[in-house]
Amino acid sequence: MGSNKKKWFSLNLSNNKPNGTSCGCGKSSDGCGSHNPTPNKDERTKDGFEQVFDVKMSRRTAFKQLAASLAIGAGAVSTSCSIIAGDESKEKAQIDWEEQFKGNYKLMSDDEKKATVDRLVRSYQLRTGKTLNMSSKNAEKDVLFGYAFNISKCQGYMDCVSACVEENNQDRNSQMQYIRIHEMKDGKGFNFNEADDNYYHEVPAEGHFYMGTQCFHCDNPPCVEVCPVQATWREDDGLVVVDYDWCVGCRYCMAACPYDGRRFNWSKPEVPEEEINKNQHYLGNRMRKKGVMEKCTFCVQRSRVGKNPACVEACPTGARIFGNLLDPNSTIRWVLENKKVFRLKEDLGTEPKFWYFMD
Amino acid sequence: MKHIYKRLYIILGFVFFMMVLTSCKHGEGEYHSINDKIEAESKHYLGVTVSSEDHIGDIKTIQITEGEHMFLIPERKSQIKSYACTECHTKPLYEMQSHDVKKAHWDIDLDHANDNTMNCVTCHNTNNMNDLISITGNTIDFNKSYQLCSQCHSKPFEDWKGGAHGKRIGGWVPPRLSMTCVNCHNPHQPHFESRWPVRFNTQKVKERE
Repeated sequence: MGSNKKKWFSLNLSNNKPNGTSCGCGKSSDGCGSHNPTPNKDERTKDGFEQVFDVKMSRRTAFKQLAASLAIGAGAVSTSCSIIAGDESKEKAQIDWEEQFKGNYKLMSDDEKKATVDRLVRSYQLRTGKTLNMSSKNAEKDVLFGYAFNISKCQGYMDCVSACVEENNQDRNSQMQYIRIHEMKDGKGFNFNEADDNYYHEVPAEGHFYMGTQCFHCDNPPCVEVCPVQATWREDDGLVVVDYDWCVGCRYCMAACPYDGRRFNWSKPEVPEEEINKNQHYLGNRMRKKGVMEKCTFCVQRSRVGKNPACVEACPTGARIFGNLLDPNSTIRWVLENKKVFRLKEDLGTEPKFWYFMD
Repeated sequence: MKHIYKRLYIILGFVFFMMVLTSCKHGEGEYHSINDKIEAESKHYLGVTVSSEDHIGDIKTIQITEGEHMFLIPERKSQIKSYACTECHTKPLYEMQSHDVKKAHWDIDLDHANDNTMNCVTCHNTNNMNDLISITGNTIDFNKSYQLCSQCHSKPFEDWKGGAHGKRIGGWVPPRLSMTCVNCHNPHQPHFESRWPVRFNTQKVKERE
C-alpha cells in the first residue's frame, strides 16, 4: 500500500493529521488476519469511507449510515463554523468525525491504532474530565496463549467471576458475566442440562463438582467465519477479539459459538465512575456501546504485558493455569504433556485452546 | 466387459485417492491440529520481551531447583511473626517442658493426619527449633518447608513442581513465581472450610423465569 494514501477523509479542524504509514494490515509480522495467508488485496485497500459506503447494503441500512454520518457531519460543520463554539467542542466534533469514519482495527497500521486509541482517551477526557490509560499493544512474536482448568480443584467460590466483572468493566445492571461456573452432580459426567450455573449455597456442595466455561479462544473459531463485517478475528497470539466499533450487533457469532462463549449488550453498559478499570486495551476492557458483542479476551490488557488474566489471579484454589503454548518450559506445556487433558466438543474441529484436567 | 470394470476400478481408485488427499485439510491453516501447530511453532522458540519481574512487586523470593524445574517461591522466614524460634526456645524442648508454666502455642490445634502418624515433633526439630526435621532426622529449612510436605504428599508435589498444582503469582512469563505449600495450606490444619460463593446473579434468575 502507498505510504501516504489516507484511509479516511479528515476534516482537520485542528492541526493533528492522521498519518497512514507502512503496511495496511497493521501487523509487524507477515500476513494479515493471522490465519488467512493470502488476504484479499481488494479488501485490504478498502478502508474508512469505502468500508462504510462502498458495500452492498439495503436501503434501510444505507439511510441509517447516511443519517448517522450526516448528523455527525452537520455537527462537525456547525461547530467548526461557529464562532461561539469553544476549542473543546471543536475538538470533540473532530474526534467524533474521525471515529465515525475510521477503518477496521484489524486493517490499521500501528500508527493508526495509536491514533484511534489516543482519540478515545482524549474523548473520554473531554466528556468526563478524567484520564484513562488505553493500549493498542500488538500480539507478541512466539506467543500462543493457552489455558488449563483443573476440575478437581475448583470449589465453586466464583472469585473468578467477580474479578472478571471488575477487570473488564462489564455492565453492572444486566449482570453480564463472561465466565460461568457450572455445578455438576458427581457420577453424571459433563451434563450441562442438569448443571446449575447460578447456585447460591455453601460450596463445595456435597456430591458435586465444579467446572468453568468462558471463551475458549478456538484456533479455528467458527464465530470468526460467520461475522459478516469481519469485526471479530483471531490475533497472532491466539486471542479471538472483537472490534466493538466495527461490530454491527447481528449476533451471528453468538449463534455460531458451540460453547456459549459470547455475550451481547442489550443495554448500554454502565459502570460507576469510581469502579471503572482505567487500565484498558482497545480490544479488551474499554467501555463498550449498546448493541455490540463482547466476550472474554483472556484479559488482553493484562496478558500482553505478561500478567495473568484476572480470573487466574483471583482463583484461590489454583485451578486455573495460563501460559504460552509455544514456550517448551512453560507450566501450561507441562500440564498438557503430563496430565490427562481433554477439551469440550473436540470432534467439532474448532481446536479450543482451553483444556480441562484432573489431579 | 472385463476392461470396463478395470477402467471403473481405476477411476474409483483415483477418486478415492483424491478424497484421501483432500479430506484431512479443513482449510484452516497449514497445521492439522493445534498440537501439530504448537509442536512446530515452538521448535524455534526464542523467548518473549515481557517479564514477570515487573508484576511480582515487593514479594521477597528465593530460587529453588527441584529436578529439572527451577523457579521462585516466596521467602517464608520473614513472614513468620515469632521467628526466630530460638528467641524463646533457648534450650532443647525436653528441658523446657514443665507442668506449672503457662503453655505457649495454645492457639495451635493440630488437625493433620492421625495421632499415630503425626505430632508436633514429626516436623519440628526439638533440638533446634529454628529448623524443621525430616522423617529420617535431616534438617529442613523453614524457607523450604515443601520438602517436609513432599515426604508424604508425593503426587501433589510432582504436580506442584510442574505447575499443575498450586497457584502462580506475578504473571505467565518467566521468571516463574509459584506459591509454596504453606502459602495456601495451614500446615497444622491443611483442609479448607466450605464457604459461600462471592457472587449471585439476580438478573439471570429473572431472565430464566
